[in-house]
Amino acid sequence: MSLMSGVRPTKGYLMDLKRRIGFIERGTEFLKLKRDHLAKELSASLEVLRGRRRLLLQSLQEAYRALTAAYLSLGPTEVRSQATSVKRKLELEVLPRSVMGVRYPYVKIVSKPQIEAELDITLSHAAERVLGILEEMIQLAEFEARAERIADELGKTNRKVNALENTIIPSYRRIIKFIEDKLDEESLEELVRVKLIGGALARRRE
Amino acid sequence: MTPGLTYAVIRSHALIGDLLTAEQIRALAESESLTAFIERLSETPYGRISVEAGGDVSIAMEKVFYRKFIERMAKIVDAAPRNIAEFLQAYYYMRFEVLNLKRILRGKFSGMLIPQILDSLIPMEPYHVKSFEQLAEVETLEATVERLGGTPYSALTASMELYKKIEELWPLELALNHIYATTILRSVEGLSYWDRTLVRWIVEFETDIENLLVAVKQRSASERILEAHRLDELFPVTYHVGIDKIREVVEARDLKPVISEIGFPYSEILAPLYEGDVALIRTRLRQHIYRTARQGRSVNDFGYNVIMAYLVFCEIEKDDLVGIAWGKAQGIPSEDILKYLVVPHSA
Repeated sequence: MSLMSGVRPTKGYLMDLKRRIGFIERGTEFLKLKRDHLAKELSASLEVLRGRRRLLLQSLQEAYRALTAAYLSLGPTEVRSQATSVKRKLELEVLPRSVMGVRYPYVKIVSKPQIEAELDITLSHAAERVLGILEEMIQLAEFEARAERIADELGKTNRKVNALENTIIPSYRRIIKFIEDKLDEESLEELVRVKLIGGALARRRE
Repeated sequence: MTPGLTYAVIRSHALIGDLLTAEQIRALAESESLTAFIERLSETPYGRISVEAGGDVSIAMEKVFYRKFIERMAKIVDAAPRNIAEFLQAYYYMRFEVLNLKRILRGKFSGMLIPQILDSLIPMEPYHVKSFEQLAEVETLEATVERLGGTPYSALTASMELYKKIEELWPLELALNHIYATTILRSVEGLSYWDRTLVRWIVEFETDIENLLVAVKQRSASERILEAHRLDELFPVTYHVGIDKIREVVEARDLKPVISEIGFPYSEILAPLYEGDVALIRTRLRQHIYRTARQGRSVNDFGYNVIMAYLVFCEIEKDDLVGIAWGKAQGIPSEDILKYLVVPHSA
């Protein structure tokens, strides 16, 4: 189907189209702003993410070493048995948050395990290390989810901007040009017709 | 030397030959995988170990090693004179029973299923209590403690008040430790003066180190525990490291000078604390006990020390094998496993 099918070459339609293209262009400008902002946000997030990951990996290795040592020292059954006696378990609440209209999960720690009283020193030492990085791990997971959603949204916004700039707006412009040409042609025809009629009427009077 | 003792000593001498050598344990720790470890173990007096499929292999193997240790211990207890047998039963059977009671209480506290609780127990016959199953099957932790009435653990009811108040398990575990420590002290008195020396040294040294570890833990623990209990209640039994020293450890800003002041061998054993490797302290403690038992055995080849040394070697071998089995099941590098083993470093 042709692009021009269904196009009414009327002044009213032309004015409506011009109003619409103005709106679309303003929207595109906003989307471009959003895209730039998201790109800036994403590159900053990725930088932070890289640094945090490296630090976390280090702490994770230390925690893993301490946990391994506890298992080797106490034996697997005793470690499991002591772990069951930890009074409060880790409780998390996942809430939605938004940046530039991008929703990402925000993890809130409701309660942390209470380890100091019940565990043997070896296990308590390992548990402390794990607990120490737990918050960091949750924050990192939250940050990763945020970066992922921002990247997704950036992709979507970019596709929207490209579609608007390369397809929608040019097609609107073509329709407007078509209608304007059509209207010019019609007004020229009208002028010629008026002139011809005027000439004919003048000849009849003479 | 009484005839019973002679037989038990000779039996211990004979059985020491069955224990794994340092090279054998090192080779087991250096096995490429758990399968290779089981394969190598089958060439030792442990023979081929069959483990049920589906469960945790390292836990199944831990049970096998415990059974082997209890079996070895039972042979000596059966052959030993009454006073020695009584002490050994109190020292080992009661220790394991206390461990099982702690695991039952923890299971009840956390609402574990009965089969899970029973599965976590050391495979042994009850020593003072009637049945572990009956204790695990009762509805609540309070009912479990009530069921301990009429046994040496009946004093646990006194700690129930604090348990209910703070809803934490440590007062009950502390009471169990206390009951065990006082029973051990009583049964040591049943041994002759010469037999007592090595036992006392091991028991006292072990208690001192455990007290120091608890004291170190209290430094980072909440003040609530210290508020709830006086230090002498938290440390009911002390030997060479008294309450004053323990208080210094709890309160000192810098631990190093306080521990150095306690002197050798404590300072050497506790040294990994400065690098944050707490687990290595227990390894060093076991190494020290291993060496002391070996020295004790060499001092008198025909005395009670031989029995004690044999049982110490057996238990340390069990601990090493449990560690190796877990490490191999988890794919831990051999050098990391070897670091926490005792026998390979005691050759």
